[in-house]
Amino acid sequence: MKFGTHLIHRCVLLAGILALATSALADSDAQFTRANQEYGEGEFKEAIGDYETIVHSGTWTAALFYNLGNAYFRTRDFGRAILNYERALALEPNHPETPANLRVARDEARALELLPDWPQRFLRFTTSTQATVMAAILFWIGAFLLAAYLFSRRRRLIALALCLFVAAALLIYVMMASENGKKGRSLAVVLDGDVQARLATADTAAAVLALPPGTEIRVEQQRGDWVYADLPNNLRGWIPAKSVERVRL
Amino acid sequence: MSNQKLQLPLRLLLGAIAGFLPFLSVRAESPKVTAVLSNSQVAVDQVVRLDIRVVGASDARPPQNIATDGLDIHYTGQAQESHITFGTGGMQSSTDVTFTYTILPLKSGTFKIPPQTIQVGGHSFQTPELQLNVVGSNAGTAGQGRGNPNGSTAHTSGAKVAFAELIVTKKSAYVGEMVPVEVRLGFYSQTARPADGPEITGRGFTMQKLQQSEQPRLENINGKPYEVLTFKTAIAAARPGKFEIGPVQAGAIVAVPRRQSSSRGRSPFDIFNMDDPFADPFGVFGQQQQKITIKSEPATLEVKPLPPNAPSDFSGAIGNFTMNVEASPKSVQTGDPITVTATVAGRGNFDRVTAPTLQDDGGWHKYPPSSKFKQDDDVGISGSKTFETVLSPNEKKQAIPAFGFSFFDPLTEKYVSLRSDAIPIKVEGGRVAAASAPAPAKNTAAPTATATAAPQASATPSDILYQLNDRLKAAESFTPLYLRGTFWLAQLIPLLALLGFGSWKIRQAHLQNKEALRTATLQQEAAELMRKLRRDQSAPREYYADASRAVQVKTALAANSDPNGVDAEVAARTFRLDEKAQTRLRQLFERSDEARYSGSSNGFDGIPTEERREILDLIDHLQA
Repeated sequence: MKFGTHLIHRCVLLAGILALATSALADSDAQFTRANQEYGEGEFKEAIGDYETIVHSGTWTAALFYNLGNAYFRTRDFGRAILNYERALALEPNHPETPANLRVARDEARALELLPDWPQRFLRFTTSTQATVMAAILFWIGAFLLAAYLFSRRRRLIALALCLFVAAALLIYVMMASENGKKGRSLAVVLDGDVQARLATADTAAAVLALPPGTEIRVEQQRGDWVYADLPNNLRGWIPAKSVERVRL
Repeated sequence: MSNQKLQLPLRLLLGAIAGFLPFLSVRAESPKVTAVLSNSQVAVDQVVRLDIRVVGASDARPPQNIATDGLDIHYTGQAQESHITFGTGGMQSSTDVTFTYTILPLKSGTFKIPPQTIQVGGHSFQTPELQLNVVGSNAGTAGQGRGNPNGSTAHTSGAKVAFAELIVTKKSAYVGEMVPVEVRLGFYSQTARPADGPEITGRGFTMQKLQQSEQPRLENINGKPYEVLTFKTAIAAARPGKFEIGPVQAGAIVAVPRRQSSSRGRSPFDIFNMDDPFADPFGVFGQQQQKITIKSEPATLEVKPLPPNAPSDFSGAIGNFTMNVEASPKSVQTGDPITVTATVAGRGNFDRVTAPTLQDDGGWHKYPPSSKFKQDDDVGISGSKTFETVLSPNEKKQAIPAFGFSFFDPLTEKYVSLRSDAIPIKVEGGRVAAASAPAPAKNTAAPTATATAAPQASATPSDILYQLNDRLKAAESFTPLYLRGTFWLAQLIPLLALLGFGSWKIRQAHLQNKEALRTATLQQEAAELMRKLRRDQSAPREYYADASRAVQVKTALAANSDPNGVDAEVAARTFRLDEKAQTRLRQLFERSDEARYSGSSNGFDGIPTEERREILDLIDHLQA
């Protein structure tokens, strides 16, 4: 009797959580629609406010960041426009509309890009998710072949299993290298204009490179209000932390 | 033992470091050779220094004899500098060598020191041709026997215990042209010493800071030893006209004989004349210090305006310059930055030397350049100025266009325009979208996006694609798939499948082992029975039982069945026996049953040898 009561309570709780989640999704959908209407009416700042509210709620999609980037673009805030286009591509590397708008925004802002390193150039043929699934499939097929070899002792099986393990390991290495590379998890974008990368953490230190808004950098470390970053053209320098924002949330 | 253990890793480490060092240490640049005169216009008998500087090489060999008619040139030695810098490209090291020569002009005139060949690591480099203007000696400047080309005479003061000289190396110059100026202060060694540094007065020109060019030197002038201080600077006139430069003023402390008689009476208590701190009551010190001002005569300089029709990129640089342009990297994607390093080197007013200009900037983004000046002399009119400009190609390009730099050469009195060669580069990637970027085809084919026209898109900027009305998917995550818990949870499925597969295979193997064990037991039993039958010692009852059992076991082995279920018919069917053999097999089983169930030999006292042999033959021939 007591067990039955507990079960009912738990079911009610689960249903409540599900209802709340559904309600939140419905709310963010309504807000997304409203933001699009505001954008359509030329009220870009209001649209930005609504899009940002959805972003802060944590329900992220590539379309959301793409639209937010467009809204920033219309207000000529190219740094934030590029940041949000980059976020859309980070969520969905093959998002069809984003690359075109990103290119236009970069052209407007004269933003500098980081050259992708070789793992990222390799991964342009696929996405990180696809590579991960492929690596897992190769690994498990290899594991099954290895198990079959242990029972049958057929040499062909072990050779095939080893090939699959090597392929899976290579894929994993490329993914890790890409993740830690220039356009990986430490990728950030310069938001403000008139930002200078400097040799030291002081406004009076010698400038290394002038960074137009939207310029890609790779954050190496943060020290107080400054970040040390890889810059385009294989340079490095200190940049005020408030002037940059990481692509990945 | 432990030392030996340690030695191997240590050797490996040292080997790795030794192998890696060449990659760490990168030579900064290819060798460069420059030649600079310490002064381009001097008087006869005035020594000039020639420095031939080899940058980026330590194994350079200097020319031992430089022959120029009218100039006495001697090699005096070399100096070597090594630099190690740590930059983004790793550790860079370079070695610079400077070969120094002294030049003593023997007569007046314009002399050209020809290009000299310097051997560096099997390659030949040439110095530029240098020009030295020597004006006639001007004796009678305070009797020191020293030239004064502009006729600015030195004035001596304090009974020639000190003197000042102002030497302006040119009588005429152009507006903005840097004119080297030298100031010499001489102090009679025993009675004078410097007090204040020299000051040059005058209007209408700008002057660099006066720099003492070398340590005080002892010179013998008219048989008297003088300590001579030399200061150098450069002036540039701001407008055309005739200017008076100087005079030069400087302070000197001289020792003058003390006056022994005093007009005032001394106090009767002041027996040692103590009211005068510089007094010499015992007459030991017969001199006293006195500060005086020494002054040279002014010099005149006629300043001419620059000729008209200056090139469009002329920024006011006057002198003699060379230009070198390099670019890195040379293989980029469109939109990537390329750093162009332009170096303007030579002699002139470097404060007016601006960055070389790109001749054709179509299709390029250009960022403001940075500059760095490295001077080769004391006053900054000889050296090199390096400009770094970041360019970014908007489209595919084959080369970086030429850079241009113009200056006015006061010696030839002409404008000179330098043009660099175009630098071949490789630019990959498509054109960077311009203001009217068309939407790519794939964008129009977005399958699930609902497109709407950009609102009020006539406002600039208007060239981005439309807004998406559908959010398309559920919430996504920036976390890579392999860092998500769900991914690793999903790996449980193949893991469980693998475990199931393993268990099934193990069970199969176990079952196969059981079957093999049974077969081995049956084979062993069959062999044992055949041995017993061949021994010919057992009683008929036992013999028939063994013989029939042997048939059952062989049949069970052949048919993979239970031996207890085998009878004569099953055995005959299994081995496909002929009629005769079937009859014999049936008889064998009947006799066996008879002997087993009758309780006695039942008339079988013995089995004839012939019959035993036939039974053995029958059993031996049971082959599947």
